[in-house]
Amino acid sequence: MGIELKNVSNSKEGITYAKGLNMTIEDGTFLALVAPTGTGKTTLLRVIAGIQPLDEGKIIVDGEDVTGVHVRDRNIAMVYQQFINYPSFTVYKNIASPLQVAGVDKKTIDNRVRTVAEQLQISEFLQRLPQELSGGQQQRVAIARALSKDARIVLMDEPLGNLDYKLREDLRVELKNLAAERDAIFIYATPEPIDALMMASHVAVMYDGRIIQYGELEDVYLRPNHVKSGEYFSDPPMNFLDGEVRGDTAVISDTFSIPLAAMDVDLKDGKYTFGIRPHHINLEGEVSGEGMFGMDASVNLAEIVGSDTTLHLTHDDMEFMAVAREMRHFDLDEQINVLFDPRQIHVFDAASGDIVENAVEARQ
Amino acid sequence: MATIELVNIAHAYVPGQYAVQDINLKWEEGVSSALLGPSGCGKTTLLKIISGLLKPTEGDVLLDGQRVNELSPKERNIAQVFQFPVVYETLNVFNNLAFPLRNRGIPEDKVKSRVNAIAEILELTHVLKKNAARLGAAEKQLISLGRGVVREDMAGILLDEPLTVIDPYQKLHIRRKLKQLQRELELTMIYVTHDQHEALTFAEQVTVMNTGEALQTGSPADLHTHPQAPFVGYFIGSPGMNIFDASLSGHTVTAGELSIDLPASTKADYSGAKMEIGIRPEFIVVHRDEQADAFICDVKNAYLTGNARILDLVGAGLQFKARVGDMSPIRQGERVWVRFPAANTVIYANERAIPTADKEAIA
Repeated sequence: MGIELKNVSNSKEGITYAKGLNMTIEDGTFLALVAPTGTGKTTLLRVIAGIQPLDEGKIIVDGEDVTGVHVRDRNIAMVYQQFINYPSFTVYKNIASPLQVAGVDKKTIDNRVRTVAEQLQISEFLQRLPQELSGGQQQRVAIARALSKDARIVLMDEPLGNLDYKLREDLRVELKNLAAERDAIFIYATPEPIDALMMASHVAVMYDGRIIQYGELEDVYLRPNHVKSGEYFSDPPMNFLDGEVRGDTAVISDTFSIPLAAMDVDLKDGKYTFGIRPHHINLEGEVSGEGMFGMDASVNLAEIVGSDTTLHLTHDDMEFMAVAREMRHFDLDEQINVLFDPRQIHVFDAASGDIVENAVEARQ
Repeated sequence: MATIELVNIAHAYVPGQYAVQDINLKWEEGVSSALLGPSGCGKTTLLKIISGLLKPTEGDVLLDGQRVNELSPKERNIAQVFQFPVVYETLNVFNNLAFPLRNRGIPEDKVKSRVNAIAEILELTHVLKKNAARLGAAEKQLISLGRGVVREDMAGILLDEPLTVIDPYQKLHIRRKLKQLQRELELTMIYVTHDQHEALTFAEQVTVMNTGEALQTGSPADLHTHPQAPFVGYFIGSPGMNIFDASLSGHTVTAGELSIDLPASTKADYSGAKMEIGIRPEFIVVHRDEQADAFICDVKNAYLTGNARILDLVGAGLQFKARVGDMSPIRQGERVWVRFPAANTVIYANERAIPTADKEAIA
């Protein structure tokens, strides 16, 4: 049981959004589609929903070929980034509408509306109009409506994108719990890695109309198989430095090179891209351990994000990011020293972007 | 630039219903500051009171110690930058930036040198001859900003969510330019926003507001390590502070099995007060192996956030979050041993932190 995409392709006005996609989404999966805006996530959701016709391929749900079946005849619910509610209906009627359309009896409707409103903490607003609510509450109404009819597949297109970060924090926890209580497959499209990390069981990273990596959440996070996977599924994005291996050394710049032994890798001579996540580059004094490498850098900007400080740094002509694990003030152009463990570097092929060797802790 | 001060400010749009109350705030000359709070907290009301668009029901607005309640927005010399860039579309960038100076009859050679200096900091030199209408939102916003600071006799600059319409990829550049401008020209700048990231990144001094009250003013590090109200603990930092309902018995505050004595020097009587204990997830110490005098907790959930791993823990009669390193091997279903370091644990009475002995000693 589940969803199967078989060789699915789609293009619109000469632009290809999906190229020969094959994937199986098992029952009970909360799948996050992670990629920046404009990479085909929404199209894939529309294809799965049956709103967008396929150029090629098949979609099979629970063993049944639904390719070409109209969206209305599929048991699917969808939530969009822009809160879509019926402005002249009360919150109650908004949530009840899909059930009324489906011809469910009044008593069952009442029961379901009240249950789902309770779960989304909007019970007290049932008799209000959507416009009388805050943005966060309006989106809760839209989510409640999507969940009221117990759809087999729930598709969400950046539903938290327009909300404040504290609201997003709260809603992520609620959505995860709501999904766990339901017998539905959730597919959630987002450019934000944190959404995937906090809610998903599985992650698919999209790039150029293709799924470049698909698997269990932590597996994809720890073992990026392509530079784009490391870039998109990392917040802040993974740092990439181009370099060349000559003998037993990776030469990154005139003044900066790392012995291969320090990374614990064997690499043939040639060009590579070295990737390390910003939070694995820390301030001197904040971390310690054997085999750490130090580097001096100049602060372009220090941004306080969550409970940490993201540092945008320059060393010679290299630009990279690091994370200080505290909220701290840094002057513009302040000179600092950072440390990192070369064993946390992922090595990618410079030409194809494919993984050559993951960081030591991620190797299997 | 000037020092801006609000003294005993209160404002009611509807008689008797205060939108802001008991506001006493001071923005020193040349300091980058922020007013931060969720929508409806009263920050926009304060902004209008400072700029002169709104006359407060009570209290005084002071510029360098002089009461300016009766002065019009224009007479106060306070510039404002809004969410949407405001440029003169028919003028080129140079003439846009020169406009406020020429308006005041500043000699043209001075206009030229000042405009060039501002353009240099904002990296607008190469577009000075271009028509403003032809630029993108980020550059237009830099022009709005430049026009706000071009006059040397300004008292202060108010920024109202200035990055809302800026493309995510250009925000970094604008954030750096804002800070650079503030520092190099030693501007008194107040950045008004609901966004923690923007406020904490820009400002040395941040005031957190909620429901019409200014709860705490301090550096980002202060707000993080010493939140003076539970709301500050929740609103600053991600995930926010764990706040436990607590009870007071004699000199001891208790939440679940966690008991903390009030500082020995506490003289105030808190009986009958609403008591809470707060501790941030990142300050909780978690061990995987058994520890004497630590609380045994079950890991209900463990998830990565990118920079760290967050644990949902249940134990000691409490439910809370703790933060460990992203490479921590702790997983859902495990048992862990937990300590709440006293130095990072805050006791709140009626939503205000009880001063610790430490702080009293310093004071």
